[in-house]
Amino acid sequence: MTMRRASSGGRIDRTRTVRFTFDGKAYTGHAGDTLASALMAAGVSVFARSFKYHRPRGVFACGPDEPNALVTLISEGVREPNVQATLVEIFDGLDAESQNRFPSLGFDIGAVNGLAGPLISAGFYYKTFMGPVVGSIRGTRAWMLAEKAIRRAAGLGRAGHAPDPARYERVNAFCDTLVVGSGPAGLVAAESAAAAGGRVILADLDATMGGSAKWSSAMIDGRPAAEWAAGRVAALEAMPNVRLLPRTTVWGYYDGNTLAATERVSDHKSSRAKGEPRQRSWTIRAGAAVLATGAQERPIVFPGNDRPGVMLAGAALRHAGEFAVLPAGPVVIFTNNDSAYTAAAGLAEAGAEIAAIVDVRPETSDAARALADKAGGELLTGHAIVHTHGGKALSSVSVRRFTLESGTFSGETRRIEAGCLAVSGGWSPMIHLASQAGGKPAWSETLQAFLPPEPTQDWTAVGAADGTFRLADIVTGAEAPELDPAPAPCLEIASPGKAFVDFQHDVTADDVRLAHREGFASVEHLKRYTTLGMATDQGRTSNIPGMAILAAATGRTIAETGTTRFRPPFSPVSIAAIAADRHGDLRPERRTPLHDWHVERGAIMQPAGLWFRPRIYGDPGETVEQAYVREAKAVRERVGIVDVSTLGKIAVQGPDAAAFLDRVYTNMFSTLKVGRARYGLMLREDGFAYDDGTTWRLSETDFLMTTTTANAGRVMQNLEYWLDTAWPDLRVALTSVTDQWAGAAVAGPKSREVLAACVTGTGLDDDALPFMGIVHGEIAGVPVMICRLSFSGELAYEVYCGAGHGRHVWEALMEAGEPHHIVPYGLEALGTLRIEKGHVTATEIDGRTTARDLHLDWMLSGKKPFIGSALMDREALLAPDRLGLVGLVSLDGRALTAGAHIVERGDREARDSIGHVTAVCFSPALGKYVGLALIRGGKARIGSRAHLSDPLRDRFGPVEIVSHHFFDPDGSRMHG
Amino acid sequence: MAEPLSPLGDAWRPGSHGNFRDGTGVTLTETRPGSIVQVTAWPDTDDAVRAAIRDSVTLDLPAMPGSGVAGEALSGFGIGPGRYLLAGSTEGLETKLRAAIAPETGAVTDLSHGRAAFRIQGESAEWVLSKLFALDFAEAAFPLGHGRATQHHHDITALIQRTAPDGFDLYFFRSFARSFWHALCRACEDVGYEVR
Repeated sequence: MTMRRASSGGRIDRTRTVRFTFDGKAYTGHAGDTLASALMAAGVSVFARSFKYHRPRGVFACGPDEPNALVTLISEGVREPNVQATLVEIFDGLDAESQNRFPSLGFDIGAVNGLAGPLISAGFYYKTFMGPVVGSIRGTRAWMLAEKAIRRAAGLGRAGHAPDPARYERVNAFCDTLVVGSGPAGLVAAESAAAAGGRVILADLDATMGGSAKWSSAMIDGRPAAEWAAGRVAALEAMPNVRLLPRTTVWGYYDGNTLAATERVSDHKSSRAKGEPRQRSWTIRAGAAVLATGAQERPIVFPGNDRPGVMLAGAALRHAGEFAVLPAGPVVIFTNNDSAYTAAAGLAEAGAEIAAIVDVRPETSDAARALADKAGGELLTGHAIVHTHGGKALSSVSVRRFTLESGTFSGETRRIEAGCLAVSGGWSPMIHLASQAGGKPAWSETLQAFLPPEPTQDWTAVGAADGTFRLADIVTGAEAPELDPAPAPCLEIASPGKAFVDFQHDVTADDVRLAHREGFASVEHLKRYTTLGMATDQGRTSNIPGMAILAAATGRTIAETGTTRFRPPFSPVSIAAIAADRHGDLRPERRTPLHDWHVERGAIMQPAGLWFRPRIYGDPGETVEQAYVREAKAVRERVGIVDVSTLGKIAVQGPDAAAFLDRVYTNMFSTLKVGRARYGLMLREDGFAYDDGTTWRLSETDFLMTTTTANAGRVMQNLEYWLDTAWPDLRVALTSVTDQWAGAAVAGPKSREVLAACVTGTGLDDDALPFMGIVHGEIAGVPVMICRLSFSGELAYEVYCGAGHGRHVWEALMEAGEPHHIVPYGLEALGTLRIEKGHVTATEIDGRTTARDLHLDWMLSGKKPFIGSALMDREALLAPDRLGLVGLVSLDGRALTAGAHIVERGDREARDSIGHVTAVCFSPALGKYVGLALIRGGKARIGSRAHLSDPLRDRFGPVEIVSHHFFDPDGSRMHG
Repeated sequence: MAEPLSPLGDAWRPGSHGNFRDGTGVTLTETRPGSIVQVTAWPDTDDAVRAAIRDSVTLDLPAMPGSGVAGEALSGFGIGPGRYLLAGSTEGLETKLRAAIAPETGAVTDLSHGRAAFRIQGESAEWVLSKLFALDFAEAAFPLGHGRATQHHHDITALIQRTAPDGFDLYFFRSFARSFWHALCRACEDVGYEVR
């Protein structure tokens, strides 16, 4: 087909010329044009090559229904494939490319596939690649050989690799009424909802509101429909309670009347303002939804129905009415219903030459006949198109007399010259959103279409979306011909030749019948076997004809054949729009009050959950191992300081706080004196170890619980869960105070001297501050709380102050430590010190270990029940061959690897594992590479030898199994 | 005493940013209250707790869930059943409340250092917040003085109070403050914003 621009008419701005390129060639169009309309106006007829047979294809539909004219848009180096040219608004600098062709649209060597048609019919992949062994080649092997070539030859556009620099955002909206679609029905609904005073959102996927009124020739209130619509839109725009969302596709209907939409904010612009997103994802929570989504026209399936120049009648009318793009040659109309007569008259009025109207029905209504008279040309009722002719553009059609009831032909075949064949198979209400909302669509035999289901959420469908096609039934004051909305039940003209059902996946009517012959009688199986309706358009134009053909083949009705249900999205949505502002910012970051100090000090920061913690503070030229060994050594020999602000901290307050802690910890807390701390262990309800930490009693009714950094959130949730569900009678308040406190652990033989140099207002000797004691004082004028406890095994103190004062106190501690060459230490040294002491962390409390496995059974109180006590003594949890905590010493002088398995024999064969390594380090205190491990039998193996087996990292070697207390087992240093 | 440090560090960039050619749509400030305190009532002491708050710090919190009072020197709002967040411009709020509320009546928790507080004010405040939270910020749904406990993208807990017809105070866990501040600034870019 060749199209041309009419000299007048359309809703484009002829005063503005827009320059763009398609396949590298420069074109111009007008503001208001789509890529499809501008290219058609410039005489382009072939837009794409088809998926399988590489047949030339032109524009077939308009708006979101277009199956053929898919293009790739290139912007800022980013390729966006499979975009419908009928939806792209042109702008200066737009760069588009056709798809699935080599070397060009005009000459595509892939078209040779057309000759192999019978070989690549329905089920090609199943038959070829899942079939039996042929010679040495099995089906799946054949697939591996052929995949690359097939993927290149078949398919859609190619995505790029360049990162998208555009911004996408997400926004939440709330309204009393969401109206989807701004055609006459939507405008009427929005106006009435807005007049009632509620908040109204009116969304439409087009750039300008008005829907079908924009190209309709009907009159409303004595004015052309387009003028009427523009007036209504302006009135709505002026209302403060109405928000208009043009260029916004509402694509998902979810529970709770929540709808998802994507607004194309700047896709149509040459450049974006600062902060302006390319697309915006809307989550709309609507009190009620009005679905005014209109209807889509269906094709009739007949041989040669995919030739460029064949298009839907409504699309031809819209292109003429909205964009002033007309068929250059004579137009033949082919229809099974009255609506195409409106198209014929409208096209004629716009300046097209109507050669003939071919109607499969023997008779037509008077109103349609009047329109045919207006359109001019021959009226051939009781006829059908049996083939089309031409190369890459339609030149003529073949017509024969046709009997609707029997589907048979008679008489001679006649050729009629045509540049455009405008087809109408009737209209299907756009029930996508209604179907997504829940419920089974209802088949209407009269309309030959599915109607919206009974609502299960608060929505109503109006206008064509509800099967109401007469404008006078939608808007009062509308004048339009009284046409019969019921089409003849005829969606296929069965005649020899390739007749396409699904244009996007190149599925023919014969493919559908073949699938039926091969046993696929259900529409769901048909879809999967032939891929009918499974392309990017999700069968927009093909589902109903496909079902009609299958129904005819099986001798059933369409209603019996199956029901089409719809899932979101209504049309493709870019992943970028869904990710929106989380792109590159997948999760938030938590920073301790000392974060900037660590960074300024040159610490290598390491993620720990959402937190960032110093790994090492390396000196120039130091390796990580050298750095942590130096840091750990400083702690053992002098004094070090580490940021412990990330430890989970939970305020447990209330008259029943002590009783609550007795229930959640394995050991007793009600006996803890005010001003003292105690190490506590929690189990899960199933008796496994869960988390540990110290809890400080600040007053009779105030406790400060600390948890591991990793488990803080989960412990908090668990405690709240138990409080809310199991013990609502306990008067206990839980509050996360992790962020309230900055914490610094000062550890090492000189730690008391460091504190003594800067702490005022409290004594620090053993009497004032014994092991596990808590005192309050000041450092540099800031109140601090100090607890004498140790994770390193050295004499150590944890100093807590208000987070905002954290850096002030930390710097005062550093200054006080200067005479003792205090060293800040990171996670590696922290880990080294704890491994040397055999303290457990999350790598040992891994959800599979019990208190006994970790030698923490001394903490299991026998005097009270606690969470986990009922199930912790199950037989399997007491078995002697459970994995138990031990220490490991490397015997070959090389580092151990965390996660490695321990085996009994020293070769490289795969052996039964007797356990695994949980943590490793070089121990400066021992001068050896050591580690902690969970080994079958645990302590019983102490003193024996085994072997490290880590084939992934190629690390094998002998180890000695020792006690997990490597260093200072009697704790004399920390008590010292 | 030393002035507490802002958690924002160098992310704090005073001045106009984003698309401010036609003026700024919002103003962002870090309000830095002297005191932020949480008060929790026991199931049967909600009235007593609110009475104690009224008598000790003269803040008359309504009983309706989600409601509150926004004042120059002192604001408060409900953040959960029997739970209130109070923020005052001066230090020492916790001491006064502790003196007035015995453990048998409720729990007083000092969060002055644990929460960061930002104010967003201007004609586009509702629009910007709509990008960050799944809440209805329209004044009819979120009246002056009222508060909401919610989350930013399921991972940053946020407590929000409407403190002006066009303004909201937002409270966050301090450690998340800088990360959220970046998200907040980004969300303001299209309307232009001034940090001060």
